[in-house]
Amino acid sequence: MAELWLEKLQSAQKTCLIQDGRRKIHFTFAEGTEMAEEYDTKTGDLLVRKWRKKGTLGGAGRWEIEVGEQSAPINLEMEGLMESNINPIFVRKDTQTHFQWRIRNLPYPIDNYKIVAKPEERQIIISTLNKKYYKKFNVPDLERCQLGIDQSAIEFAHANNTLIISYKKPSAVIEVEKRFQQELKKMKASKDGDVDCTPS
Amino acid sequence: MDHSIALLLRSRLAPVIGLISGIALLLRSKLDVAPVTGLIHGRLVIPEGYGSFHCSADKTKKTNTRKYSRTKNYAEDKRPRSIGISLDTIQHSNCVQTTIQHTGSMAAPTVEKVQEIREVTRIERIGAHSHIRGLGLDDALEARQVSQGMVGQIKARKAAGVILEIIKDGKIAGRGILIAGQPGTGKTAIAMGMAQALGTDTPFTSIAGSEIFSLEMSKTEALTQAFRKSIGVRIKEETEIIEGEIVEVQIDRPATGTGAKVGKLTLKTTEMETIYQLGQKMIESLTKEKAQAGDIVTIDKATGKITKLGRSFTRARDYDAMGAQTKFVQCPEGELQKRKEVVHTVTLHEIDVINSRTQGFLALFSGDTGEIKSEVREQINSKVAEWREEGKAEIVPGVLFIDEVHMLDIECFSFLNRALESDMAPILIMATNRGITRIRGTQYTSPHGIPIDLLDRLVIISTSPYEEKEIKQILRIRCEEEDVEMSDDALTVLTRIGMETSLRYAIQLITASSLVCRKRKGSEVDVEDIKRVYSLFLDESRSTQFLKEYQQEFMFNEMVPDEMETS
Repeated sequence: MAELWLEKLQSAQKTCLIQDGRRKIHFTFAEGTEMAEEYDTKTGDLLVRKWRKKGTLGGAGRWEIEVGEQSAPINLEMEGLMESNINPIFVRKDTQTHFQWRIRNLPYPIDNYKIVAKPEERQIIISTLNKKYYKKFNVPDLERCQLGIDQSAIEFAHANNTLIISYKKPSAVIEVEKRFQQELKKMKASKDGDVDCTPS
Repeated sequence: MDHSIALLLRSRLAPVIGLISGIALLLRSKLDVAPVTGLIHGRLVIPEGYGSFHCSADKTKKTNTRKYSRTKNYAEDKRPRSIGISLDTIQHSNCVQTTIQHTGSMAAPTVEKVQEIREVTRIERIGAHSHIRGLGLDDALEARQVSQGMVGQIKARKAAGVILEIIKDGKIAGRGILIAGQPGTGKTAIAMGMAQALGTDTPFTSIAGSEIFSLEMSKTEALTQAFRKSIGVRIKEETEIIEGEIVEVQIDRPATGTGAKVGKLTLKTTEMETIYQLGQKMIESLTKEKAQAGDIVTIDKATGKITKLGRSFTRARDYDAMGAQTKFVQCPEGELQKRKEVVHTVTLHEIDVINSRTQGFLALFSGDTGEIKSEVREQINSKVAEWREEGKAEIVPGVLFIDEVHMLDIECFSFLNRALESDMAPILIMATNRGITRIRGTQYTSPHGIPIDLLDRLVIISTSPYEEKEIKQILRIRCEEEDVEMSDDALTVLTRIGMETSLRYAIQLITASSLVCRKRKGSEVDVEDIKRVYSLFLDESRSTQFLKEYQQEFMFNEMVPDEMETS
């Protein structure tokens, strides 16, 4: 099942660039969807993965962040409204062995949270007993490998106003990531400032 | 059977503007007294079946008591309608009680009828055509003498009704209609009526002929954009919406009084709560929607459009008085942000702009769209055709209205000839008040200032001058629109003025005379007030007369006789 995803990645047009200690890869898929990934050059950790789909009416959409944080500041006048930064902030940041989500600005103690996996909806739901925070999210990596969500793989901890939810990566996912990393190593990356890139 | 509805006007004196914050209606048999301070201004919708209304307010300020009262007769028009209550005479009173009494001979209102009463507070200002609510036609396309703010012009309105059917059908592309008639015969009113009758989902673009002359854009580009703004595409799109109950709205004005306002909005669902920071546009639309704590709203993230769904059930006991229209809704569940598929209508021009440049739709907000390449347009056209074939989208042909069309020049006219032939063309409605005159940009004269070849492609609706009875009716409608009480004699005098000068001049006198009337502390405009403003303000013919007599004394007139001789 994971083969499909790997094939899709391989068939995509890729551009690679090393900048600020990050290996940045840009994928353009056949249907016009774009994906951008950033890896730490030293550890090989995934720092950012974001997607951009074409809008229904044409025109480029906006980047939707899957992993990592929004780096560009949001212009309030353009957006009309935005979430205040005192709200809980939901960020995904993976480790080698776990998918990990961090929710900052959540001061409530650990027994306030309930984290439930909904395998039929392929979603994980975070809810709070004091009704202050609620979030439904899915794990796209598992979906790509067509794996279900398993409650037993979820662990969570709370410290420093941050709720950390970890999900142990299934071996199939680790395998795909490893093969993909090897693929990437073969790619020639241009250094910062170079424009010339080698599409595969 | 006399029913009296006590109108409880509750007003909180806001720190900046003392305006009413809430109007509630209750059906009561006994009169209620509610303490009110501040300025009261609001509008009521009168339910069907009521005849005339009496509205009064008592002012008690320590010793003196002043009574404000007015009676209106609405027997002729049986539909629900709105009347304005602007009791600014009772500003800063300690105690105000307003009652609206049903005194007509209509059938006694039932409780269901009263349900139709709802509060309407005016935000828009009163414009020249704000009394027009439609074309005033019945189902058989026959024009009613007086309806929906339209009076007379039976033939023209009937014709407009037929055109309306063509537009609603949506099959015919690129028809041209010319509304021709003397000044002040209701050409623009008919066009506005058509726009109202079509509803908000049909694109209706209204431009003036002189609008297309700009240094930034070529004339044909401006016309093409206007054409494409008038064609809608109904398409299904996935958008992100925020749906929740308002916990708190906080809008801070900067202490200096100028500069951007800062706003904070707290929304919640049954499961969560989030604070949002608001931009300028969002603050404006929140104030316009009058969103307050306890309302359930949805906000479209892409467009910033706010829709009020109703009030939260948990707030049901907060107020003792509540408009009957208030709907109670359950607080939404789950996450605040949701993805939803919505069907909406976008114009071809909007799609053009989204695709024409990299920053995309942001250009729509700044308004700086510039010229759009024809390649982009061709691409969009083929894309839309593709969507139509796949059944994804549907074309909603609209209307382009060009007022003062004689201001277009010969280039524009020949462009129009060509543009009307395209199958993506909207219905083109033009209006002119010119007779046989020079075509702009040429030495030739032509009827209505429009070349014969274009005239040949048009059907012409003509309007005729109003009769005395009609003028009287229009003036009466305008009086109501401008919240002016006028005695019958005064109205007759004003009608006479309207006949002898112009309808527009007579309409101008309405508000002026009401101000004069208020100065003398009268309750309704009298003949004397009309006479006074008539002497204060000259109309066009009196001014011309005056100039003929005293021309010599004006500037630069010393040379005139000389010039006359040489020529």
